[in-house]
Amino acid sequence: MQPKKSARSTQEPRWLRYSLIGIALAFLLSFLFLPLVFVFVQALAKGVDTYLDALKEPDAWSAIRLTLITAAIAVPFNLVFGVAASWAIARFEFKGKAFLVSLIDLPFAVSPVICGLIYILLFGSHGWIGPWLQDHDIKIVFAIPGIVLATVFVTFPFVARELIPLMQAQGKDEEEAAISLGASGFQTFWRVTLPNVKWGLIYGVILCNARAMGEFGAVSVVSGHIRGETNTMPLHIEILYNEYQQAAAFAVASLLALLALVTLVLKSVVEWRLRKELAAQDELPPDGLPATPRTAHA
Amino acid sequence: MSIDIQNISKRFGPFVALDNINLSLPTGELTALLGPSGCGKTTLLRIIAGMESADQGQVLFSGNDATHLHTRDRQVGFVFQHYALFRHMTVFENVAFGLRVKPRKERPSDAEIRQKVTHLLQLVQLDWLADRYPSQLSGGQRQRIALARALAVEPKVLLLDEPFGALDTKVRKELRRWLRHLHDEVHITSVFVTHDQEEALEVADRVVVLNKGKIEQIGTPDEVYSHPATPFVYQFLGNVNVFHSRIHGSWAEIAKQEHQGEAVAFVRPHDIEITRDAGQGALQGTVRFVHPIGPVVRVELAHQSETIEVELSRERQQQLDLRVGEVTYFRPRQVQVFEDVQDFVI
Amino acid sequence: MSKPHSILPGFRLSLGYTILYLSLIVLIPLSAIFFKTALMSWPDFWALVTSPRVVASYKVTFGTSLVAALINCLFGLVVAWSLTRYQFVGKRFFDALVDLPFALPTAVAGITLSSLYSVNGWVGQYLEPHGIKVAYTPTGIVVALTFIGLPFVVRTLQPVLEDLEAEVEEAAACLGATRWQTFRRVIFPAILPALLTGFTLAFARAIGEYGSVIFIAGNMPMISEITPLLIVAKLEQYDYSGATALALVMLVFSFVLLFTINGLQWWASRRGQRGA
Repeated sequence: MQPKKSARSTQEPRWLRYSLIGIALAFLLSFLFLPLVFVFVQALAKGVDTYLDALKEPDAWSAIRLTLITAAIAVPFNLVFGVAASWAIARFEFKGKAFLVSLIDLPFAVSPVICGLIYILLFGSHGWIGPWLQDHDIKIVFAIPGIVLATVFVTFPFVARELIPLMQAQGKDEEEAAISLGASGFQTFWRVTLPNVKWGLIYGVILCNARAMGEFGAVSVVSGHIRGETNTMPLHIEILYNEYQQAAAFAVASLLALLALVTLVLKSVVEWRLRKELAAQDELPPDGLPATPRTAHA
Repeated sequence: MSIDIQNISKRFGPFVALDNINLSLPTGELTALLGPSGCGKTTLLRIIAGMESADQGQVLFSGNDATHLHTRDRQVGFVFQHYALFRHMTVFENVAFGLRVKPRKERPSDAEIRQKVTHLLQLVQLDWLADRYPSQLSGGQRQRIALARALAVEPKVLLLDEPFGALDTKVRKELRRWLRHLHDEVHITSVFVTHDQEEALEVADRVVVLNKGKIEQIGTPDEVYSHPATPFVYQFLGNVNVFHSRIHGSWAEIAKQEHQGEAVAFVRPHDIEITRDAGQGALQGTVRFVHPIGPVVRVELAHQSETIEVELSRERQQQLDLRVGEVTYFRPRQVQVFEDVQDFVI
Repeated sequence: MSKPHSILPGFRLSLGYTILYLSLIVLIPLSAIFFKTALMSWPDFWALVTSPRVVASYKVTFGTSLVAALINCLFGLVVAWSLTRYQFVGKRFFDALVDLPFALPTAVAGITLSSLYSVNGWVGQYLEPHGIKVAYTPTGIVVALTFIGLPFVVRTLQPVLEDLEAEVEEAAACLGATRWQTFRRVIFPAILPALLTGFTLAFARAIGEYGSVIFIAGNMPMISEITPLLIVAKLEQYDYSGATALALVMLVFSFVLLFTINGLQWWASRRGQRGA
């Protein structure tokens, strides 16, 4: 009848399809890809030697070390919390559950600056327990503990909010089966629950780690910016940039950009595994809605 | 092991799932808990397994109180509706799980486990699937693996929640027969939950019909089908024609029973005889439809404002040669009348 | 809280730990904001949060966040649509790229965008002759916030677009609807809750954003100074009550947005059920 019309009734005409793809790709390339390329180009703009020198500088080293330490403390803390919270929420019925779930999301809704501020209000020299801490010579704010605390706060929900929907979708049949076959609570958790949520757990940890290493606002407020002592990598970048050391700033930034790339690759791999597992579970009649792996939301 | 259920009640908020259930299940029998969805049958099964706790009442295993016994210690094998196979373990490891998690002292050696699991897989005729993962199995195969897994710990009771619910019709029929044979072989006290009357009648030694948290009838498949104790059982087990005595006075007469006030008569479609001539007590009806369905022919008759469903054998239809629009006569061979069932909703 | 019956162990332990940890890390520290503000008198508080520089910062923060979220809705829809509906070379790469703003630390994004859009930058040099200044203006803030917010819209829309049943669109086509009519009357209403949720998420994130904005904003009082920066500025002057008062205003607004998001999701799930 109308030979020009596309074969499928539910497809847009070709010109529209191509323009939409064109707009989408142009937007992604200019807004996301270009900045990513720019980081590496700037980092290497003054040659490899300058690049390596910037990374070898003692202050840069100490910033890298502090960032790693912070993540190494914050991530396990939130991992344990995420597992405990998802066990309570996805495996039991109790009053106020929906409220508890929204409380867990709370840190995503709070500005990073406020995350830092609250710890100053608590532990600062004019804070609630600041004077007591001073008397006992304990430093929290403008020291490493404050940085870790602020990081724990901003990365608080990551693992929990990946695990809760996953465990809810999987249902508790397998755990009940394990118990009915004589397994103890620990055996059930270790042999049935953990292997089942493995990929969701890794997914949450990857996201949590990326945020922990890259957090700027909250850490900036509590760190006190003491060079070589309480500067994390993002804070070190800020200082270098403000001192017009472009190449050095982008050199350190390139490390974080590399971390972002690794995160994206790992995330894609894990997402693919998760999808596969949920698809396999789809074949087994589902007890809940198979949740598509979702990225963390603020 | 025999199971006794005494005065068991269970509510979920305002919803009464089980209302004072009393039931005893003798050793070695295969019992079906039959009822529509929401009648409480799965809740009852989970209470027997110890996965749900009753609000009141007791569960006795071999006469001993097991009400507060943990599932782990009840020695029940539970087969879940959706099988609940461990998705990250092979078929072999799934079946071996119950043996591997035993306390060190009771745990069999690896060789013993291997032997036992192989034997069980042979019993369910799936030993060639030992290295597969659950996602690589068909529904019927998963079901049999779930059963083998439950049997591995040598339970005293086997509980099955809608064992054939998620399977397609053909596999379902095969598995039914297979379960019956398996039970004849292992002779373990077994209870299964189903909403499919055909399944309950075909597989079980005894059928417990549940409705709205109460037991309607307990009996052999033949008893519940041929002599339903309540209108609900009559309706739930097979097709039925319903006649109200007020409207169809003559039917009560046919039943040769005197009824005061409201009464309802039930007649199964295959218990109605169609004749060409008006014999004694026969009613007149006009043929509306004639549908041959497999071995039977379903005929719809219009009688006053009602539609009456009749099932004939193919031979009978060949003799009668009923045509749409014809006027014929019909008469029940067997009627069951229930009185005082005003609240009965069809 | 009474123990719900379940044969699975660990309810009290896991819930107890969850609540304890939540209280220690999140609830008690957050409550400090409310207690600290409660020490201020109402007139002081009101004067502080409505002073001209502060009000100007609200306008900048909310205005740029709104524009950025709207841009993200438009382009996010096109991106999500292209990624779910069409096949093209490098699709997996572009799909993964959408998450870059989640993975890239905000400080890195900040210095990068600022350098890109400065007068001598890769992009800025082409805009400058046309009289378009991006870096160190509110436009720069919009650019940074658009970068930050894009994944929220795309990732909220994608699963909904994937789950749309092809049959519904085919039915609309069979009933004689044009492709545009099908989109407007069948597809758009179905994805509207997700689009609104994505918008709100991007908006909420943009309002609190700090790291990526401060480098590109220029931070001129009354013109391109955002509220979070003002909080930091007050903190650096040891004006704790001033910082806390501003934080409270932002916090209240964040909570309102959080409730809006929950409400939207509830609405979406209800609509889903009704349709099913």
